[in-house]
Amino acid sequence: MSAVRQFRLVIAAVRGLTAFTLITFGTLYTKVGRSQQVIRPLVHDQVYRAGVKLLPIVCFLGLALGMVLVGQIVSMLQQVGAEKFTGQLLVTVVIRELAPLVAGLVVLARVGTASVIELGTARALGEIEALEALGIDPIHYLVVPRVIGFTVAVSGLTVYFLLLALASGYAFAFVRGLPLSLEEYFNHIAAALTLADFPLLAIKTALFGAMTGLVICYQGLAQPLRLEDIGGATTRTVAMCVVGCLCLDALFVPIYLLV
Amino acid sequence: MNAPIVIEMEGVAVVSPRNPELPLLEPVDWRVEEGECWVVAGLHGSGKTSLLHTAAGLQTVPRGQLRVFGEPVPLAAGEALTQLRRRVGVVFEGEGRLFPTLTVLENVVLPLRYHLDMSLAAAAAEVAPLMAEFHLDRLASFFPGRIGQVWTRRVALARALALRPTLLLLDNQMEGLDPTHLRWWRDFLGALHRGHAWLHGQPQTLVITTDDLRPLLNVGDHFALSAGHQWRIIGDRAEVLASTQRDVRELLGESE
Repeated sequence: MSAVRQFRLVIAAVRGLTAFTLITFGTLYTKVGRSQQVIRPLVHDQVYRAGVKLLPIVCFLGLALGMVLVGQIVSMLQQVGAEKFTGQLLVTVVIRELAPLVAGLVVLARVGTASVIELGTARALGEIEALEALGIDPIHYLVVPRVIGFTVAVSGLTVYFLLLALASGYAFAFVRGLPLSLEEYFNHIAAALTLADFPLLAIKTALFGAMTGLVICYQGLAQPLRLEDIGGATTRTVAMCVVGCLCLDALFVPIYLLV
Repeated sequence: MNAPIVIEMEGVAVVSPRNPELPLLEPVDWRVEEGECWVVAGLHGSGKTSLLHTAAGLQTVPRGQLRVFGEPVPLAAGEALTQLRRRVGVVFEGEGRLFPTLTVLENVVLPLRYHLDMSLAAAAAEVAPLMAEFHLDRLASFFPGRIGQVWTRRVALARALALRPTLLLLDNQMEGLDPTHLRWWRDFLGALHRGHAWLHGQPQTLVITTDDLRPLLNVGDHFALSAGHQWRIIGDRAEVLASTQRDVRELLGESE
């Protein structure tokens, strides 16, 4: 495939996703509070599926990466006498970058791919037409709960991940006998955090979650699919979400440099 | 005085859903009045399903004029299209395109719950007479994949009737039924057409597609044929039986 054709496909996908995003937010705005007896349990299901059920794996990753990464960073900084940079480094690496990315990728891998298959199968088997025939808006019924659910899930999982990573990092450093008290450790982190970090982290994780939900639904629903197309749609979703998360991440770099 | 017109097609091109450039039936000139029961017969691939989907506003009309309940079908999704679809019940071919993650009861009450914002218990109480008449009450908690196709068809019919539509479109639901189930469908559709208690005694306007005219001869009062990209109105039951057209005789089960 030529580079020009590849570029055109990327542009078409971005345009399609943008239009799909606008339609979804339009539906979210115009249908807020409608059909709550149906929509609220669906949102609840998605939060449970993408958030609560993934808590064990995210906690495990938080503990493991905390020991491997945070523990080593703290130990190395102590060794070279640069412990005053501990807080700044942990806030930048763990809180601002690693935690949202890990939470987003875990949700994508464990729930996102399964959701593309579900939605793609529903599309291929004509269930979307069945919804339309009943006067049910597929965006309202299928997309809105997923976007809300994934947004809440990525935000919540990020908090659990970073708390456990920081705690296990200290535990690792403590076991290695580093002369750093718990109070000093958290004082370093607190000093490096700015007030803007809290809303920025909330916005970043919400954007990761919403984008993951939108890409999944776009790939599963927005185009006619046959059963044999679903595998391709799933791999495209993973690629699109990873690239999307990294692009969003890059957008936050200048903001973090300013605060 | 003439009854209100429910479906009106003038020179409509019914196209393939996969290839909108490919007309399956053209031109279609057809008027369905309130309270009528039409049987549209044709072999597989003759465009019956696409005709129903077009009438239900699920497929676009590239050429010709389509009016449902006297109004053109809205092109874009919105409140007008939602209101139209609430008045049209569709029973899809085969297993009826039920939602596999919902139980039988949840499938049936979904349109009620979505449009009227009802709780599951309230919606279940509302459809209880329908569930009992369809013998679905004992299957209410089963998922569609765990029950036979003859029952999923009834679930699809119950779901389509849940909102008490003015127009009911059934796509080849009689295919492959055993005599017991066939009799049940014939009796129920006959009762709907005459005026069923579920619809407060109001006669239901019906369009039924089939690839075998025999089971529906006593149900329909108007018959039409889709064959060879052509749309032909045959007439009433007597005209069907008297027809010498090869296509009609074939759909009556007569071999050459």
